[in-house]
Amino acid sequence: MHETAIAKAILDRITDRLNNLHHASNATAVEVRVGEFRNVDPESLSFAFDSLKKEYPTCIACALNLELIETRALCKDGRHEYKASADNAYRCPNCGSAIGTLVSGKELDITKIVVSQNK
Amino acid sequence: MHGPTELHILERLLEDNEQLASHNQEHFDELGLLAVNLMSAPGAGKTSLIKSTAKLMPADCPIAVIEGDMVGELDVERLREDNIPAYQISTGRACHLDAQMVAQLLHTTKLPDCKILFLENVGNLVCPAEFPLGEHLRIVLLSITEGDDKPIKYPVIFHNCDAVIFTKSDLLPFCKFSLEKAKDAISSLNPAVEFFVVSTISGDGLPQWRNWIVEKANKKISHLHIGL
Repeated sequence: MHETAIAKAILDRITDRLNNLHHASNATAVEVRVGEFRNVDPESLSFAFDSLKKEYPTCIACALNLELIETRALCKDGRHEYKASADNAYRCPNCGSAIGTLVSGKELDITKIVVSQNK
Repeated sequence: MHGPTELHILERLLEDNEQLASHNQEHFDELGLLAVNLMSAPGAGKTSLIKSTAKLMPADCPIAVIEGDMVGELDVERLREDNIPAYQISTGRACHLDAQMVAQLLHTTKLPDCKILFLENVGNLVCPAEFPLGEHLRIVLLSITEGDDKPIKYPVIFHNCDAVIFTKSDLLPFCKFSLEKAKDAISSLNPAVEFFVVSTISGDGLPQWRNWIVEKANKKISHLHIGL
């Protein structure tokens, strides 16, 4: 359940950002990009986020929106770009060679926080 | 009441862990040791491998162990029976070691003189892959009894490691485990990986593994495993 550690990291980052604003504010939404090759279960992350946010007064009403990014790789031998998955045993469907470089799938980033200023 | 404002940012999560991992690696480098993150499912034989490896170590290559477990000190006690210096980190609810836990231990404990420091992670093929500790080498153990399908099921940990050690090889005749199939799956994820096949019962494969790790320690060929 490292999703709990990730949920806490998201809430800590939001809190830091809000603390740097001039006006007292609450977060109403946060967008997080999660790569498929990142060992993160979206459902578990959402569950952990909703459980933990109760402990963060400025994030109680914050919705977590996840953008899932598929795993894409350049193959080792042919440098073909392909979607790497268990279905093709992570090998290139064009030439059968192994993963050379991951192009996407390792993302784990906050991309947007929606903030509502208090009265 | 003001309307909502959108803050467009790009902040990498777990970056704090990666920075602390870099800090830990500087610490390891100052101590002149090779730090090795040992990862596997529970019961693959990490502690047994360390105990057997210690017996084969040359006198000029002493080892020490940082032991990560959720609860208890059973593995540390097993290691100390063999006079292996071992230090416990209890991770509590966390299913992995993280760089903060290791940093805290490094700042409060004087490690003995050693050339290799094994960081024995919590038994888990998922979470430890996401939390670098500052190690120079990442090793994954896969025991014969777990099945040869595990690399495809847990690709991240096998993609990002320097070596895979197949343990409990004495059970190969009794299990439907194809070494060829497992190696092929791991190679598709990680073509540069090294393989070892060992049994701590028969002793098979241990000298090859020992020679490799001692050579790594002596050459101190380090790869920074901060992110990908």
